[in-house]
Amino acid sequence: MEYEVKPRFYTVAEINGLIKSEVENNPYLSSVWIKGEVYNLTYHSSGHIYFTLKDDSASISAVFFKYANKNLKFKLEDGMKVLVFGGITVFEKRGSYQFNVLQARPEGAGELQKRIEQLKKKLSEEGLFDQSRKKELPFLPARLGIVTSPTGAAVRDIIKVALRRYSNIEIIIAPAKVQGEDAAATIAAAIKELNRPQWNIDVIIAGRGGGSFEDLMPFNEEVVIRAFAGSRVPIISAVGHQIDHPLSDDAADAAAPTPSAAAELAIPVKSDLANEIEYLKTRMLNSLSNNYMNYKTALKNLVSKKIFRDPYEILNSRQMLLADAESRIVNQMKHRVSSEREKLLRVPDIYRLQKKFLGQKKHDFELLTQNLNNLSPLNIMSRGYSIVLDRNRSVIKSVEKISQGDSVEIRFSDGSAAAVVNSVKKEN
Amino acid sequence: MEKDKKLSPKTSFEDALEELEDVANKLEGGELGLDDSIKEFEKGIKLARYCQQKLEEAERKIEILQKGADGEVKPGRVAVKPDTGEIENEEDLQGSLI
Repeated sequence: MEYEVKPRFYTVAEINGLIKSEVENNPYLSSVWIKGEVYNLTYHSSGHIYFTLKDDSASISAVFFKYANKNLKFKLEDGMKVLVFGGITVFEKRGSYQFNVLQARPEGAGELQKRIEQLKKKLSEEGLFDQSRKKELPFLPARLGIVTSPTGAAVRDIIKVALRRYSNIEIIIAPAKVQGEDAAATIAAAIKELNRPQWNIDVIIAGRGGGSFEDLMPFNEEVVIRAFAGSRVPIISAVGHQIDHPLSDDAADAAAPTPSAAAELAIPVKSDLANEIEYLKTRMLNSLSNNYMNYKTALKNLVSKKIFRDPYEILNSRQMLLADAESRIVNQMKHRVSSEREKLLRVPDIYRLQKKFLGQKKHDFELLTQNLNNLSPLNIMSRGYSIVLDRNRSVIKSVEKISQGDSVEIRFSDGSAAAVVNSVKKEN
Repeated sequence: MEKDKKLSPKTSFEDALEELEDVANKLEGGELGLDDSIKEFEKGIKLARYCQQKLEEAERKIEILQKGADGEVKPGRVAVKPDTGEIENEEDLQGSLI
C-alpha cells in the first residue's frame, strides 16, 4: 500500500523563525558560558564590540553590546583567551546566528586571582608590604636604572620622559623579558643586577606597558615581589595601565600607574630646580641690597646730624660751657676771698696783739739776761774779785790746797797774771 | 649663630637647596647686621653654586647591560632618539641577563 504523502513546504522565513524560536527558547543556549579565543576584534565607535570567538576547530560570531560591556574591567585583545557568558541570537533574515555576550572574563582569571590573593596574604604576613620598609625616592637622582624589555613601549616612554625632564640624566637599562614563562626570573635577575654597588644606581623603575591580565602576571610572581622588596636601591613599580594593580606595586617603594608616570615620579624637572636656585639667589641679593640700603640710610641720617655737619658746634658749645664754668669758679673764688678777708678784718688785731706779746717777752728776756749777767762770775770779778787757779787750772777754793812756792794763775775779769805764793796763812 | 655645616661632595642637592632656602629666609628676616648678612649672602652664593654644579654633574648617557661570553655583565652605550625614546639597533640587544 502506498500513500502519496504530500510534502509540507515551509518558507525560508518559516524555517528560520522555527530555528530562532527553538534556539532562543532553549534554556541551555540562551544562558551559556563559552570558552574561546578572541579574533577579528572591532571596537565600534557606537560602543559595541564585535569579534569572532574561536577555538582549534570552530568559530562563532559574537557581539558585546555597549549596555553590557560598559562594566568590562579589562581590554579585549586579539588572541586573548576568554570566558564569555550570554545567549545565541538568530537572524531570521540571513539565517545566521551570533553569540550575544553579556559578560566576559579572561580565562583562568579566577584561578590566577586566587593564587595572587594567597601569595599576597603570605608575603603580607612576612611584612614585605609594610610601610616602614618603604624607602624615600632620591630628590635628584644622577643615575636611573630601568628594568624592562629593551624593545617594548615602556622603555621608550621612560627614556623619552626622563630626557625631557632632565637632559643630562644617566640611564642604565637592565633588560628583562616582561611576559611569558621565564619573564619573572629575568625581571628578578635584572633588579638584583642593578642593585650591585658598581652600577651606582640612585633609583630603579621596573615595569612594562599595558597588556592582558596574563601578560602582567610576572609582576605578581613571588620571585619578582621578593626582588622588589629586597631592592637596596629605591624602586618604583610601573606596570600596565591605570587599572592594573599587580603585587609589585605593593612591594615597591613607590607605585606609578604607567611607565611614563614612573619617570615623572623619579626624575625632577631640571629647569624647575635651576629656576628655584635662581629665585633664591635673587631673593638673597634683594634682601642683601635692602639691608645695605637700610644701613646706608641710617648712616646718612646719622651723618646729616648737626654734630657731623658742623663739628665746631660741639666745640663752641663746650667752650661756652667751659667759659661759663670758669667765670663761675672765678666769681665764686673772688667772693670767697673777699668774704674771708672780711671775716679776718672782723677778728681782733692778732698782729698787734702778737707784737705786744713779743715786746713783753723781749722785755722779760732782757731782764732775765740782766739777772744772768749779774750772776756771771765775770760780772762778779768785774766788781774786783779774781780767781786763783792751780797748775792744773783748777780753781783753788781753800787755803789748804795751796803751799808756799806754788805757781798759780790769777784770773781777772779782763785778763790773768802768773804768781808765786810767798806765804800761806790760814784763818779760823 | 649655629656652626655652618661644611659643604662636601657628599652633601646632597636636597640638603644644599634646603640650606639655601634657610639662608634666603634669614636674610629676608632683616635681623642680621650688615657684616652677618654679607657672611650669610656669601654662604648662600656658595650653596647656589654647589646646587647648580650638582645639576650639571650627571653626564647624559644611556647604557644597556649585556652579558658577555664570559658571563660577565657589562654596560654598552646605546644611541637613543630623544623625541621618541627609541633605542637604535634594538634588535641587536639581548632580551635579558639570563
